[in-house]
Amino acid sequence: MALGGVIRGKRTTLRIPTEDDLPAYSRWMADLRVRRAGPIWHEPAMPATWKERLKEQAKEQRAVLWSIETEGRLIGLARARVGGLESPPSAHIQHFIIDPEEWRKGYGWDAALALHRYFFDYLDLKRSSTELRADNAAALRIVEKLGYAEFGRGHQVYYRDGAYVDESWVLMERPTWDERFGKTEREYVPFGEAR
Amino acid sequence: MFGPRLVGENGIELRPPTLEDYKLFTEFQMQPEVTRFWGPRFSTETVATAEERLKRHLESSDSVSWSIVYQGETVGFTGVFDINWASRDGETGIFIGRHDLYGRGIASEAVRLRMAFIWNELGLHRTHNWIALANRGSWRANQKSGYSQIGTYPRSWFRSGEWFDEWLGEAFPGTFPTDKLPSPWRDEKHPK
Repeated sequence: MALGGVIRGKRTTLRIPTEDDLPAYSRWMADLRVRRAGPIWHEPAMPATWKERLKEQAKEQRAVLWSIETEGRLIGLARARVGGLESPPSAHIQHFIIDPEEWRKGYGWDAALALHRYFFDYLDLKRSSTELRADNAAALRIVEKLGYAEFGRGHQVYYRDGAYVDESWVLMERPTWDERFGKTEREYVPFGEAR
Repeated sequence: MFGPRLVGENGIELRPPTLEDYKLFTEFQMQPEVTRFWGPRFSTETVATAEERLKRHLESSDSVSWSIVYQGETVGFTGVFDINWASRDGETGIFIGRHDLYGRGIASEAVRLRMAFIWNELGLHRTHNWIALANRGSWRANQKSGYSQIGTYPRSWFRSGEWFDEWLGEAFPGTFPTDKLPSPWRDEKHPK
């Protein structure tokens, strides 16, 4: 159930993950640059374990996994919990990983914008949230541009490189999306105009 | 894993949960009086699957769980969960399943025992939690043992026509009040 379908950005596409993607997943999870930037989706493992993880992910009721590609080349993954029963219908982005060899090319922003368009314009969610390491400047730039605001800050949360780093908890509400991107970022052309 | 027996004051103690406790926990979580700030009041867990859950928690390497006992009776549970052993950070939680016992300081004492164990035996560097802002008794109990507020998550969930925010807290070994250190850690003969 919870392998994500196609979401098209301008330069990137989020698509259903396949077993062919798994060697790259494993490589990224073993990359210290990725591990420094944010939470990884599982530790590096043998191919059989990765296949099992993908199978388990497909059974997840509320967490959705996408692979991200550009020009047919796999460059990352995104994973979000989608739901809201007692809370407003919402997405919580748990993992958003871009291959370090593809950093600083704008792919993260493009894929993030497309993913949020899917959340708000397609699923009609009311909010989206995530947590970031406070020194991940690239990720902070993306969430700021999208319209996220910090609602909490954990101190000395993650340990790496011999020191602790803070964690920033950020939230974006639907009205912010509507105001910034509601008119320009649409999953479909309005039906009235398409007829 | 399950935590060891920790004896507090006023007849309150933490002890490793039993199968009977697990059956009780399922019943607690289905009661309207104690779920205003806890869960959706439905579950896939049943009394019949209690043993399976107990084994899962017992074998878990990233959590420590206790039953809370008041005057010999199990009245709730607490623990530290999702421990990240590299960052030495974990999420704490507490649930009192007996609304007739609210206001007796059970949560405060349970939190004090739990935090003393976390800092003195697990070697964690930090803990954090999310508590309904309206559940003052719960976050006050945590504050007394060194938690402080680090944020507010707005409109976290909906009950009886109202949206409730959440109180986000964190604690460190250095924020635990030294004069509240329970036995055995405060005992002179306890090895340092």
